Amino acid sequence: MLGLRDLQTSFFRSIAVAPGRSGVERFEAALVEVVEGRGALGPAARIDVYAQMYWARILDVLREDFGRVAAILGPERFDAVAGDYLARYPSTHPSLRYVGGRFPEFLAGEAEREGMPFLADLARFEWARLEVFDAPDAEPLRLDELREIPPAEWPDLTFRPIPAFLLVESAWPVQEIWATAGEGGLPEPPCPAHTLLRVWRDGFAVYHTAIDATERVALERVMAGEPFAAVCAAVEANAARGEAAGEAAALLLRWVEDGILARGSRR
Amino acid sequence: MGCTVPYLGHGVGLRTKHFPHVLAGTARVDWFEAISENFMIRGGRPLAVLERARAAAPVVLHGVSLSLGSTDPLNDRYLRDLRALVHHFEPAWVSDHLCWGSVDGHYAHDLLPLPYTEEALAHVVDRVRAVQDRLGRQILIENVSSYLTYKHSVMPEWEFLVEVAKRADCGILLDVNNVYVSATNHGFDAEQYLAAMPADRVRQIHLAGHTDKGTHLLDSHEGHVRRPVWELYRAAVRRLGPVSTLIEWDEGVPEFDVLRTEAERARAVEAEVLGERRARSA
Repeated sequence: MLGLRDLQTSFFRSIAVAPGRSGVERFEAALVEVVEGRGALGPAARIDVYAQMYWARILDVLREDFGRVAAILGPERFDAVAGDYLARYPSTHPSLRYVGGRFPEFLAGEAEREGMPFLADLARFEWARLEVFDAPDAEPLRLDELREIPPAEWPDLTFRPIPAFLLVESAWPVQEIWATAGEGGLPEPPCPAHTLLRVWRDGFAVYHTAIDATERVALERVMAGEPFAAVCAAVEANAARGEAAGEAAALLLRWVEDGILARGSRR
Repeated sequence: MGCTVPYLGHGVGLRTKHFPHVLAGTARVDWFEAISENFMIRGGRPLAVLERARAAAPVVLHGVSLSLGSTDPLNDRYLRDLRALVHHFEPAWVSDHLCWGSVDGHYAHDLLPLPYTEEALAHVVDRVRAVQDRLGRQILIENVSSYLTYKHSVMPEWEFLVEVAKRADCGILLDVNNVYVSATNHGFDAEQYLAAMPADRVRQIHLAGHTDKGTHLLDSHEGHVRRPVWELYRAAVRRLGPVSTLIEWDEGVPEFDVLRTEAERARAVEAEVLGERRARSA
C-alpha cells in the first residue's frame, strides 16, 4: 500500500512529468497497482483521464495567454513547444494565471530551433499586456489638475506612472507582429527593427504604442522619481536645440491624455 | 454543531462572458459564486466586476487550489490572499474541494482523488481545521467527480466526506452532478450517497452538465443539467430541505439568460418538492 505522500508524488509524476502525452505505458507501476480497474476502464486508462485533462487544461491557458505565438506556430507546433515548457516548468502557483510566467524565457532557447527568433520577444510582449491587465488600480492624473500647478513649481514636480504601465524593448517590431498574426500565421516574415513600446491600461482596456528614444529616456526619468527639470534635461539631450521644453511639455500632455501618470503622484 | 450560513436561493457562477452584464447591472440572480483564484489579482476588470456583483447580490467564494488533501504544507501565501479576499468581499461562505491538487510545490490545476483511508482522513481533518483557524470561519468542502478509486480505500466516499465534516466541524457543498458522475464511473448507488448526507451540514448544492465519453462520464460543466441529475437533485431536496443551489457552466458558456433560466428551473424543482413534502406532512 502506498502512503499518501508517495501516492501523490507517483500520481503527479505519472500525469505530468513523464515524456510524451499519448500512450499509457508511462504511468508509474506503483500507482497503477493501487488503482481499481472495474468496468470499461482499466487502471492505466483511468489514470490517463487525469493525464489528458492535465495537459489539455494547462495548454489551453498557455494558448490563450500567448494567442499570437500560438497563431504563428500553429496548433501542433505550439502544443509541442508548450508541452516541452510545461514538462520543464510545471506550475508552481495555485492560480493558472501565472503558469506562463517563464514561457518567454523558455522560448528564447526554442525560437532559434523553430527558425523564428522573434517569438520570445513576442511572448514577452503578450505577457506584458497580461501583467498590465490585472495590475493594481490607480486614478490617473487629469489635465485640469495639471493646469492648476503654478509655473514656478514645475521644475521640482515629480510624477509617477500608474502601476498598470510597462516599457517593452525588443529587437523586433513586436507590436506589428502582434497586430498581423492571425490563424494562418504571419503574412510575411518580419525584419529586425529596434522597438520601444509603452504598454498601459486605461479603464479595463490594455493599450500599447511605439515610442522613440527621447520619450523612453524621459519616461525612465519619471519612473526613477526625478523632477520635471531632469525630464526636460533628458529631452534636451535628445531633442533639437531650443525645442526641449516644448517637447517635454508635449510628452507630458500625451501621457496625461493616455492616463499613464497616477493622480496624486506629483509633489 | 452543524454549519450555520444563510439560505441564498438559486445562483450562478460568475464567469468572464457575463462580466459586461454584471457591470451594466443587468445580471440579476439570487447570488453569485466566484472562483477565488480568479480574483487573487491586484486590480483591473475582474475585481471591479466582483465589486459590482457583490453590490447587487450575495457572493460566495469557491476555491479550486486550496489542495486540502495535499501532503505539501498549506500554501501560506494562498491563505493570506484568500483571507484578504474574504475580508474585502465578505462572502456568505467560502468553499473548496475534498481532493488534492499539488505535491512537491507543483500544481496540477485539477481536483485529484484521495484514497479513503484513516491516514487521509486524519490528514484532511487537520488541514480543514487549520484553514478554518486561519480564516476565522467554517468552510464548506465539496465532493469531486472522480475517474479512479484506490484498492486500499477502507470506506466509501460519502462516509469519508461526512467524517471529515463532523471531525473538522465544517459544512458540505454537495455537488449532485459529481455524485451522479462518480456513481456511474465507479458503480455505486447515488441514492445511498445522498442518504448519508447530514442535513445540518449540507449548505450548498452544485448542479452542472456532464459529458458521456462512452467509457465514463466526464464532469465537463458543459450544457444543461442532465435529466438524471435533476432527479437526484429532487431526491436531495426531499431529504435535505431547501439548500442554496448553484448552476455551474464552464464550457461553451451560454448567454446569461440561459444560465438564469437553469437557476430558475432549480428553484421550480425545489418549490415542487417542498410542496410535496408539505402536502405529505399536512
